[in-house]
Amino acid sequence: MQKVKTIALKKQILDDNGREADALRAALKSKGVFYLNLMSSPGSGKTTLIRETAKWLQPRYRVGVMEADIDSDVDAAALLASGIESVQLHTGGMCHLDAAMSRQGLSALGDAFDVVILENVGNLVCPAEFDTGASACAAILSVPEGDDKPLKYPLMFEQVDAVCVSKVDTAAYFDFDRKRFADYVHRIHPGVPIFFLSAKTGEGVAEWVTWLAEQIEGWKGKADEQKN
Amino acid sequence: MSRKIEVIEIGRDLSQENDAAAQRIREDNAKRHRYLVNVMASPGAGKTSVLLKTAEALCSRFRLGVMEADIAAQVDAERMQAAGLHAVQVHTGGECAMDAAMTAQGLAAFGEVPVDLVFLENVGNLVCPAENDVGADLNVEILSVPEGDDKPLKYPLMFRVCPVVLINKIDTEPAFDFDREAVRARILALRPDAKIFFMSAKTGEGVQEWADWLTAQAKKKI
Repeated sequence: MQKVKTIALKKQILDDNGREADALRAALKSKGVFYLNLMSSPGSGKTTLIRETAKWLQPRYRVGVMEADIDSDVDAAALLASGIESVQLHTGGMCHLDAAMSRQGLSALGDAFDVVILENVGNLVCPAEFDTGASACAAILSVPEGDDKPLKYPLMFEQVDAVCVSKVDTAAYFDFDRKRFADYVHRIHPGVPIFFLSAKTGEGVAEWVTWLAEQIEGWKGKADEQKN
Repeated sequence: MSRKIEVIEIGRDLSQENDAAAQRIREDNAKRHRYLVNVMASPGAGKTSVLLKTAEALCSRFRLGVMEADIAAQVDAERMQAAGLHAVQVHTGGECAMDAAMTAQGLAAFGEVPVDLVFLENVGNLVCPAENDVGADLNVEILSVPEGDDKPLKYPLMFRVCPVVLINKIDTEPAFDFDREAVRARILALRPDAKIFFMSAKTGEGVQEWADWLTAQAKKKI
């Protein structure tokens, strides 16, 4: 009797993507390019935080941004207007960016950058499953979304290297308990750094950028060691 | 002669299968005089709070049920039960949206409990849930003020599949740059017949208008 062959499509897709992502990461490392994958719900303030972060980083690094969206180019246009080099990626209906799309975006952006920030599709589910080949990943959660989100979207908080809590200037309007949030996050991912900030008022942005700059330096240091 | 390669369109077949299952749900609900509302939104837009407020306004008119879809956790179903609704928690097992088969399972979980207006609180996501017909009689999108008025530009499919949009958290408008007329124009550009309600589940403002409109829609079918 012939044995029925079962194909686990999703696992295969994720395995293939993982290999592609590792290859991309290695290629970027040899060039000394730091690549940050920034993820969040729609409307958590990814574009605004990227704009503020880029302003802090620009004196030291050449910063490029890839804006991933299903449609529209409002984000890339907003960044270009602020003097930040960016390209708009359309995912064609896909709810996340994978390593192959990320490679396409990087080649469209060109080689003139040593820090590239990816604004992933606004989504707390799918982007967490796909390695984009990034050097580091961060999630933004905004105060209006509520402090219970780590319970509902655990994979996102497990995957990232840092969590930014944005829009803290609006705290008076919402019941957001910082301690409870930190507790939920650390239950899923012990020790992951959490930055409370407002890209609008600038509060807390320096701490986040300091952490990010350390990651960039660490990554470049490793790249230099590789070269030597 | 070279053999012809057979191409299998996995995506389309799956979607056809889903559409057939969704149609069966609609027919079955019509027979049972049951009206299913599919509620979609970003994470944290206030789906659960809007549903709790809506339920307060409708509990004397309908026997209400709610299906809470989440990847993990059951905090929402607990809040619903505490408010006296018949609640069923559905875990999607990592999937980013409900489909018709999962919805049928959720509906079956009500068993013999008589419900005639059922809300499905879909997974918090503006992308994937828009692609799946879950067999609902009405699709509703909740957009909250803090998310910004540009969201119809970025997630057009969601606004195309929803004949009604609830703009929630209007009590927080002073803290944000949210342009009501801009969002209205962007929604209507995608769907000219869209009905838009501005509300706050926290203060209750605008909830009654939406609840009355929903009552009229549901009464046509049940």
